Amino acid sequence: MAHPQIVDDENALIEQAQHGDRNAFGELVSRYYPGVVRVVYRLCGERGLAEDMAQEAFLRGWLALPSFHPQSSLRNWLYRIAVNATLDVLRRKSEDTLEDEAAQMYPDQAAGPEATLIEKERVALLQQAMHALPDAARSVLVLREYGGLSYQEIASVLDVPIGTVMSRLNYARNRLRELLDGKLLQLENEYA
Amino acid sequence: MHEDMRALLNAYLDGQLRGTRLMEMKVHLAGCEACRNELRELRLVSDLLQAAPDPEFMPAGRFASNLALTLPRRSMRDLPPKPGSLAWWLVPAGILAAWYIIQAVFTLTSAVSAAQVTGLLGQAARWLNGGQETIWFAAVSSLFGSQGGAAQPALSLLNTPSVTGVNLLDGFLWQALIVLLYWVWLSIWWFWRRPRPMKMESAM
Repeated sequence: MAHPQIVDDENALIEQAQHGDRNAFGELVSRYYPGVVRVVYRLCGERGLAEDMAQEAFLRGWLALPSFHPQSSLRNWLYRIAVNATLDVLRRKSEDTLEDEAAQMYPDQAAGPEATLIEKERVALLQQAMHALPDAARSVLVLREYGGLSYQEIASVLDVPIGTVMSRLNYARNRLRELLDGKLLQLENEYA
Repeated sequence: MHEDMRALLNAYLDGQLRGTRLMEMKVHLAGCEACRNELRELRLVSDLLQAAPDPEFMPAGRFASNLALTLPRRSMRDLPPKPGSLAWWLVPAGILAAWYIIQAVFTLTSAVSAAQVTGLLGQAARWLNGGQETIWFAAVSSLFGSQGGAAQPALSLLNTPSVTGVNLLDGFLWQALIVLLYWVWLSIWWFWRRPRPMKMESAM
């Protein structure tokens, strides 16, 4: 639970930003950018696109901020904007333009070359499996695993009933389990 | 029972079960190896997702600085309404509504008085004192005496709409004055309370 003073501070920043104070909005952006960009990245799988989508989300947030009710959670509100913006782009984007950026990610460089290779492939498999999920299931999974939202908050962000959140999460994790189970074992055997 | 509990494994894993449900799940897991295995696998998937490294994103400070350059200017029309500001604007409507209720009662009373004067109500409204008179009616009455002769009923008929008209005009003027005073006060209040231009915007 957020400290009351932090909440007051945030409410003050929101009110200032609502009245056009860019410095206050910049402070809010600095607070929520890491979470937003992380969630968006896990949705789209591209770092560049994730940063662009985060920018788009905060831009939309700035324009819509006057209609934001300070009683609501700004984080969840921004997540909602970011998820919707990203899903819109992903729907328009053809699958083959999604870069395999998993290979460009940064596994532990201190590990040996073989371990690094395994880690890279593991991450790549994970990314592929994530993108094999339907958007709706992936959104729920990402908000839970990377956004750290409760089921109730996810329901609020995605505007779906909490039962739908639970069923989509069940589907997503079980599907990932099926997709990863054989492939990860195969990977381990190849390098054994 | 088993399928019901199985459907709640993810909720249990995420710490979203409470109370009786949580207790039921713990009891079930203690006796169901299949569910324990499935829970373990779900936890592995979750751990795998959590362990996946993030790339190096643009630092928050630089992102915020870049974003600030692209933010469009918002017009003052976009400002959120102040809490309770709607109530301020509803006050004149409330005053008018109250005033119209008073006027309606007054008009009805005048109508009853007129009916009494013209004899439409007979003795039924004796309790009313229909003593309202315009200046000309008082003057005519004083010239011809209070009993007024044969012209008295006709004069009374003319007097009643005049009294009503004067009263309505009087009421309207009062309403207009009250509303005018209120709007003047509200305008002054708004002028002093309006948001000042933002420093950043004035600097750009």
